[in-house]
Amino acid sequence: MPKTFDPNMLLESIVDRINVGIFVVDENYKILLWNKYMANHSKLKEDKATGECLFELFPDLPQRWFKKKIDSVFMLQTFAFTSWEQRPYLFKFPHNRPITGGVEFMNQDLTLMPVKDDCGDVVATCISLLDVTDVSIYQTMLKDANAKLEIASQIDGLTQLNNRAHWEQRLQEEFNRGRRYGSPMSLLMFDLDHFKLVNDTFGHLAGDAILRTVASQIDDSLRDSDIAGRYGGEEFGIVLPSTDIKGASIFAERLRALIAAEPVRFNGIDISVAVSIGVSEMHDDVDNHEMLISQADEALYYSKENGRNRWAAYPCPNTEKL
Amino acid sequence: MTQAVGLSEDQRDCLQEIVNVAMGQAGDSLARFLEVFIHLSVPRVRLVDSKDLPPMLAEMVGHTDKVSAVRQGFYTAGDGNGMRGEAIVLFNDASFGELAELLAYEDDLTEEAERELLLDVTNVLNGACLNGIAEQIETELVYSAPSILGQHILVEEVIARDNLSWMEALLVEINYSLDNRSFSCNLLMLMPGEAIEVVKLALDKLLSDLD
Repeated sequence: MPKTFDPNMLLESIVDRINVGIFVVDENYKILLWNKYMANHSKLKEDKATGECLFELFPDLPQRWFKKKIDSVFMLQTFAFTSWEQRPYLFKFPHNRPITGGVEFMNQDLTLMPVKDDCGDVVATCISLLDVTDVSIYQTMLKDANAKLEIASQIDGLTQLNNRAHWEQRLQEEFNRGRRYGSPMSLLMFDLDHFKLVNDTFGHLAGDAILRTVASQIDDSLRDSDIAGRYGGEEFGIVLPSTDIKGASIFAERLRALIAAEPVRFNGIDISVAVSIGVSEMHDDVDNHEMLISQADEALYYSKENGRNRWAAYPCPNTEKL
Repeated sequence: MTQAVGLSEDQRDCLQEIVNVAMGQAGDSLARFLEVFIHLSVPRVRLVDSKDLPPMLAEMVGHTDKVSAVRQGFYTAGDGNGMRGEAIVLFNDASFGELAELLAYEDDLTEEAERELLLDVTNVLNGACLNGIAEQIETELVYSAPSILGQHILVEEVIARDNLSWMEALLVEINYSLDNRSFSCNLLMLMPGEAIEVVKLALDKLLSDLD
């Protein structure tokens, strides 16, 4: 003969033993129901919890905030929620990843649900507590991975400077900002002199070492707001916000001298390095950031044509001829 | 996908009336809860095509400031009539800071606190408005936890046009503002596809009870 179940008893037993925290409070935050999950995790037995005020038993709870949540259930007769993303935990419960978790307390999502009597009035708030420690750990890992990916997608692997796409985007932003606020901005484009010859003579590893050294010299010369990037093989660009052509030219000369002063040592051989630089400045008649690049390029070409290891600012004296 | 047929004039009037009454109640309970007087616009009820929704949002907010958007799902409780949908609340970032003090935020408005505030306010607004509507068509709603669609984004970015799996939805649009404050936000209650038929049935039942 099959056993018969009393559905109400079954329900009661499930609420008590389910693997979810369930408790009920009245308008004065007095605990009316406290299931086994809550008892096990709080080390507070049901008979010690029921009849007591929630906030007296758990003085660590963010009282003002949590009361407001509970009040909203009674007053607006609707649900309220708390999420681990805002407050990782409300109750300082242990979790089931004590070894591999890396978080101190169980991360929790709470749902506050109105309990209504036959007339439809809210007489209590039922709160269910879900352990979301696993979710929070994976979410945090995902966030970290995304942050790393974002950086990786913006950085040139060899030089650790901004890659071309990201650098150009930043240039465009600075160009637009300068335009909007009427503040000056300048651009440096430069490349390594005779770089192909270096590669052919000393090998590509030597070329890589030079690119890395120059990149770190660039990086050391920048102010916080300056933005350097690897534009092409041996071509670099530096955005100088709030800087006019005069300041940019001083910067260009300092950078040229710095790079020329120190040969790069590779496999016991000192290889001398020099750069040719072109400088341009944003003016009303510069339509967009691309035009600014082509002007700096023109000045760079002028430097190349006139002996290398030097800088020139746009417009150059004999630009027409070029 | 079933194509919903438009609401009849009677159905539309009835729904408009229900929503109007619900807004009155919502304004009242929100004012008591937040202790500030809330202005609610006369709600607007209409059917929208999914392709029209993104441009409609821009027109609705009526400004080009960045917005933050939160969504929350709802459905009828138990063996209810099968109404279901999602509510979206759009906050104007420019006036958002004013809201923190209203909801008893003890801390500075950090990015985290701001997220929580967005979720809380959305939940409170949705609960107040949707319960009022549900009550009048004699059903009860259950809500999912709200989640953030985007913070400090352009209104065009709120809904990814390619992602919509519905053709047509019933839209109830309500605008909120606070007394003596510049804060304002837009609430959109959207019920897709078959849920429209459910609402129409409920409206017909109400209308026949009136006869």
